[in-house]
Amino acid sequence: MKSGVAIAFTLGAVLLLGTAISAHHPISAKFDDKKPQTLSGVVTLVDWRNPHVHIYMNVRGNNDADNWAIELESPIDLQAGGWTHDSVKAGDAITVNGITARNGSRQLWATKIIMTGTGKEVLNITPPSPPALLANRPTPRWPDKQPRLGPSAGGAQGYWAFPSSTVLAEATANVPAMDQYGLLKNVADAKRVAPFQPWAAALYEYRQKRFLQDDPTFINCKPPGGPRQFQLSQGVQFVEDRDRQRIFVLIGGGNNNYRIIYLDGRSHAGQVGGDDDNPLYYGRAVGKWESDSLVVDTRGFNEDFWFTNGGLPHTERLKLVEKFTRENFDTLKYEVTVDDPGAYARPWSSSWTLRWVTGQEMPRHLCQENRP
Amino acid sequence: MRSLMIALAVVAACLTSSTLTSAQEGHPLKGSWLGTWGPAKTHSNDIVLVLDWDGKAITGMINPGTDDAPIKNATLNPDGWVVHFEADIKDKSGVLNYVFDGKIENLSFQNRTIVGTWKNQRESGALKISRQ
Repeated sequence: MKSGVAIAFTLGAVLLLGTAISAHHPISAKFDDKKPQTLSGVVTLVDWRNPHVHIYMNVRGNNDADNWAIELESPIDLQAGGWTHDSVKAGDAITVNGITARNGSRQLWATKIIMTGTGKEVLNITPPSPPALLANRPTPRWPDKQPRLGPSAGGAQGYWAFPSSTVLAEATANVPAMDQYGLLKNVADAKRVAPFQPWAAALYEYRQKRFLQDDPTFINCKPPGGPRQFQLSQGVQFVEDRDRQRIFVLIGGGNNNYRIIYLDGRSHAGQVGGDDDNPLYYGRAVGKWESDSLVVDTRGFNEDFWFTNGGLPHTERLKLVEKFTRENFDTLKYEVTVDDPGAYARPWSSSWTLRWVTGQEMPRHLCQENRP
Repeated sequence: MRSLMIALAVVAACLTSSTLTSAQEGHPLKGSWLGTWGPAKTHSNDIVLVLDWDGKAITGMINPGTDDAPIKNATLNPDGWVVHFEADIKDKSGVLNYVFDGKIENLSFQNRTIVGTWKNQRESGALKISRQ
């Protein structure tokens, strides 16, 4: 019996600790960039899995060897930088530069890894850049001249990625500076991000001061509802089902979910039989084409997720009007108006563009709960 | 067999616990709250509070059901997450005006708590409720 209980407690502890920060989190949520550290030791295990690869290494201390967890980007990002699962192997001697975990545990976010024997640097993460623009290709169209949101007829597959902005803020002349994860450079700028109600401003500031570590998208793989789905690094794909008058938005990041935009004239209420009382992560979306733009009205959101990576609050009163315009073959303009009288003093807007990644399927980045 | 059952129960408890610490990312007061506000002569020790936010006002009900009492004058001061609300509750001797004051703790969690006090014309006591 003792062994059974011990196993259970160990497993439970791992699950609970993993819940604290898991999935593909902002680096700053877990690690303190003001605490750099260099470690040298021998690799004991390479855990090549989503959302973050970990290298475990023994570091010789004063008395005994301590085992450290070295955290890296996702396998997708590492592979894009030329890394393979055996670039570093158990038994290799390495030196790691990085930043330490905020909670004082033996975890390091690696910024540089050098093979101790050869001096060769093996970690080389450069942010992926959008594919080079070809000639100004015209917007692909269906036979009835309506713009296509996917590939051209018979053309190579592709998806939309590389958003020109990865953070959501009201489009004003003076948008506060943030990092790619939506973390303000100066938290005193919080109230300038959107026209908050007082409670929402305070909650946003609270989340910022906690380095966004409470983001349910990362803690529990909650779906990236709202505009957030168009700011993920893994992109989106539109599947236009014209026979059934609906568009499926396939989401590359988060938990690889999808959203349905109905174009058949149905209303938000009674959209799907029996679910009217059930607020949803992606809400209930209805759309129509206005000239060359798809305009989508979505409401019926639940409050169980963050609709932006920076932690902007929302309520069930949230309504979004999104406008998708394929300006040319390679550019999709996304405009959104946020109308949530539960959290904001007035409606506000933002916009950005996405780039067409031709000839590729979306990377398959799976969020995994309870994995640090 | 018994050890396996205990092991599974512990794991289930851990999973349940971790699940509870997420969701409800909107207005911090919205939801159902359960806790204690006693002991006192004028009411039982347990309290259920259902709160809502309509974008302008906090509304709610104490002990929904046969003894329910709507709350009034409810406020949330985000500077310190200080909560205040009142309710007129009937007992055998008449209507008592209850005043509740507290503070939200563990704001990030779904099962966040309000810890504070209550008082009426005759008594006072501690209040501790957790969001369900």
